[in-house]
Amino acid sequence: MTLTAAPPTRTTPPPADPPVRGRRQLFSVRRVFAYVLLTVLSVAVLVPFAWMVSSSLKLDAEVFSVPIRWIPAEFHWDNFTRIWERIPLLTYLRNSVFLSLTITALQVLTGSFAAYGFAKVRFPGRDALFLAYIATIAVPWQAYMVPQYIIMQKAGLVNTHLSLILLQAFSAFGVFLMRQYYLTIPDELSEAARLDGLSEYGIWARIVLPLSKPALASLALLTFVNTWNDYMGPFIYLTDNKLWTIQLGLRSFVGLYDAEYAMIMTGSVLSVLPILVIFLLGQKYFVQGIATSGMK
Amino acid sequence: MKRHLVPTLAAAAALALLTACGGGGSSDQAGDGPQTLKVALWNYATTPEFKAIIDGFQQTHPDIKVEPVDILADDYAEKVTTMLAGGDSTDVLTMKNVIDYSRFGTRGQLVPLTDEAKKLDATKYSGLDAYDLDGKYFALPYRQDFWVLYYNKTLLKQAGVPESKLQNLTWQGYAELAKSLTKGDGGSKVYGAYQHTWRSVVEATAAAQTGGDLLGGDYGFFKDQYQLTLDLQKNGALMPWATASSQKVTYNTMFSTGKAALMPMGTWYASTLLADTKSGKTKVEWGVAPLPQRAADGKVTTFGSPTAFAVNKNSKHTEAAKTFVEWASSEAGATAVAKAGVTPSLQDQKILDAYFALPGVPNDAIAKKAFKPDQVVLEMPVGDKSADVDQILTEEHELIMTGEKSLDDGLAEMSKRVKNEVG
Amino acid sequence: MASTPTTLPAPGVSGGGRYRATRRRRSSTWVGWSFILPNFLGFATLTLVPVIASLALSFLDWDSYSTPRWVGLANFERMIHNDTFWTALRNTAYYAVGHVPLTLAAALGFAVLLNQKLRGVQFFRTALFFPYITSLVAVAVVWNMLLSPDLGPVNQFLRGLGIDHPPGWTTSTTWAMPAVIVASVWRDLGYYMILYLAGLQTIPAELYEAAQVDGASGWQRFWHITVPSLRPTTFFVLIMLTISSFKVFDLIQVMTEGGPGRSTLVLSQVIFREGITQGRFGYSSAVSMVLFVIVLTITVVQFRWQRRSER
Repeated sequence: MTLTAAPPTRTTPPPADPPVRGRRQLFSVRRVFAYVLLTVLSVAVLVPFAWMVSSSLKLDAEVFSVPIRWIPAEFHWDNFTRIWERIPLLTYLRNSVFLSLTITALQVLTGSFAAYGFAKVRFPGRDALFLAYIATIAVPWQAYMVPQYIIMQKAGLVNTHLSLILLQAFSAFGVFLMRQYYLTIPDELSEAARLDGLSEYGIWARIVLPLSKPALASLALLTFVNTWNDYMGPFIYLTDNKLWTIQLGLRSFVGLYDAEYAMIMTGSVLSVLPILVIFLLGQKYFVQGIATSGMK
Repeated sequence: MKRHLVPTLAAAAALALLTACGGGGSSDQAGDGPQTLKVALWNYATTPEFKAIIDGFQQTHPDIKVEPVDILADDYAEKVTTMLAGGDSTDVLTMKNVIDYSRFGTRGQLVPLTDEAKKLDATKYSGLDAYDLDGKYFALPYRQDFWVLYYNKTLLKQAGVPESKLQNLTWQGYAELAKSLTKGDGGSKVYGAYQHTWRSVVEATAAAQTGGDLLGGDYGFFKDQYQLTLDLQKNGALMPWATASSQKVTYNTMFSTGKAALMPMGTWYASTLLADTKSGKTKVEWGVAPLPQRAADGKVTTFGSPTAFAVNKNSKHTEAAKTFVEWASSEAGATAVAKAGVTPSLQDQKILDAYFALPGVPNDAIAKKAFKPDQVVLEMPVGDKSADVDQILTEEHELIMTGEKSLDDGLAEMSKRVKNEVG
Repeated sequence: MASTPTTLPAPGVSGGGRYRATRRRRSSTWVGWSFILPNFLGFATLTLVPVIASLALSFLDWDSYSTPRWVGLANFERMIHNDTFWTALRNTAYYAVGHVPLTLAAALGFAVLLNQKLRGVQFFRTALFFPYITSLVAVAVVWNMLLSPDLGPVNQFLRGLGIDHPPGWTTSTTWAMPAVIVASVWRDLGYYMILYLAGLQTIPAELYEAAQVDGASGWQRFWHITVPSLRPTTFFVLIMLTISSFKVFDLIQVMTEGGPGRSTLVLSQVIFREGITQGRFGYSSAVSMVLFVIVLTITVVQFRWQRRSER
């Protein structure tokens, strides 16, 4: 039911796509150049993050030192133990995990299901409906926050996790993303399956879904990250501290103790870690090439 | 999972479609038995007066249970606006500032408290008239802040400046003092003064002390105060506004870690200092002096803003909520507020004495004078234009302070924009 | 409320011509709807209805409490004469023009670089994706610190290069928007890179093998295989980028709050300020309407263009 509902584990990563060229050619100037370029750019991209980690191991007073010290004079690992006493981080993390997983699962399931209807089934009104989906993506959430809130309030769902789940699990984004991928899958495949007597649902479950694993993985990951990092949604809908997510907790910590830079960074690091782990676990689904055997 | 989902959704959809979009009551029900009052407030953990008021109220009203609804201060206005728009029924709402209050009040989102307000002795309540909306009141103030000058006793001593110099300080004197107290550079720099990034530090001061109108659309009266601030900034006696803003510098850090010797700030800061001194978070030796004046005539004019409680129109426990609001601004409430180190709206000698008796509150002659200003002008006049003007003034303040616009251009732009966009 | 139809006619299998039998068409309508319905129910209730309501609000004067009053085009009239609206519109366009091409180029470049058989690809991919998963609260603090005019490392570095008066970044009206764009490209790059990587995975290796046999160079392979095969992905990325650029809110709100002055104020902030802070829902809906029309126009144009190239 989560994004790790993956096929049986593979022992070796499948080859990535540009096909293996001659061994000789592999060690070329271009490869060295690619390495150098990637290293330089990755380091540049990681600078702010390095600053975050190094700050999380300092004392508050040392964070904004001049000149900047990238390596703390002494490592204050106790920041990472003290923060649990300062705020109910465990509760926040639990809430965030629960919400992100539920929303991701629903989004991937219903999104990929609906996308099949939009990409592979022809029926009147399909494109108009799809345009309605896209159209809502174009409306900033700040604009319809209030009408949405009123509906939730009337349904008595404000200040419950359910409100956020309903709010974010059916976004147009997932449908749109999956449809784009389904369009790249040749119609001949489903035509052939129809001839074999598979129903449309069977085609979706047995042919299209397995083919779009990388897309599903990337949708799952993106949804997860978006939900995890969302601040405005929980802020508007959750008042009860027991229901708060990690972002709300962090933001309120920053607001309350804005001079405790080191602690803020510690909290930030902790809020990023679970996501990082999930991403690392999910990596292999991205790398996994699509089995092209069905295309012949 | 999906089988579960469809009925849930269908139910939600049906519910939503049954009720037309619009304002009005909400659908939660009031329970029987002991009543529970929900009170919307901010930063509960770091704002001691809320706990003091709630605890005090609970002691005398055991039949009413009070539950804080904690909202982050920075987001308070947005959250409360959304809650009210959705028909939320949180019983008591803290009115963080007078501009928001007038908006909720004129829209009829609050329960009228005119009779309750009329019962209060207007001569003793500072800030009560700020809640007068065409003769009607929708909130009762429990706290009144005004601006004073905080100073670091240790730094003054080191520089050999006697504290009596602060007794009758003019802005000119403040500037000279700030320059003389500035020392060091880089990470160890100590600024002579710190003025926070808010526009009120400059603008509300100027308006209060020159009698200028913040909503008037003509802002020449800001000039002296800006000039003084910009000069100090150029001189290095003030931390540059741009630095303070981009690094999100907090005034508490600047003052409590001894990075600034003088700091104009509201009276609420005293309660933070008291709490932090008590918990050992800061060791700063601090004093309080009156806000500097334009002339040394012994009269102290400062500005400030009251804070009040109001009752939500959608509350299911209106009577209990009114009881709470009245208690908070009563003498018992004011005493509880004062004991938390916050200046209450009810200005009565007994309560002031309770305040000065707190351990750690400076109670020398200078502080006594600082806490009894001759005149407290409302920080921002209330009107339907207040919020828009506030936005414009804030934007132009940033441009003047970062040097992106010259002072004269900035002031001219303020006037032009207020006349065009708000008038 | 209707729920999913339970009795579905079996889709005609050994069908004749694709558009011949109406029965077949009707059944495919049922089938199509049955796929879309679970998602559509939630979407319609919680997104479509509120969106339509908010668009309707743009013709009303409503403060959430009193009865809404029909005011026709008054909100739009006020908007046209409002200097702040035009400033925000200009800034939003500026942001989009900077953010879209830069992010797209960076994301595609990195995706292609990472799609080779290099050792350590995992590390690089993670590194580049990292900004996107970092909490915005922290991101804002970090960037403001890095770009701080006096003490920030960026300006310390620039001074080291001999530039005496480096820009004031977020405290300068000239440099604030570029600073925001840099931070946003940094943040979003990984996200779109992942999309491109997923897209690259769908390109059958046979294509490259065939090209290799024909003796095509790396560049040729890139232009003639990679780019055309990635068209659906590019379309998606472009649309998402455009939409997210016009809707940008979070990053600017935490980094500059629209300042200094109004130099980074964007439309979504105007919507938020007018609606949620000031409670003028009618006016803020009118601004959303404008933003919506702009984004929709751009999206439809892109859509048409993509359709044409699909043919």
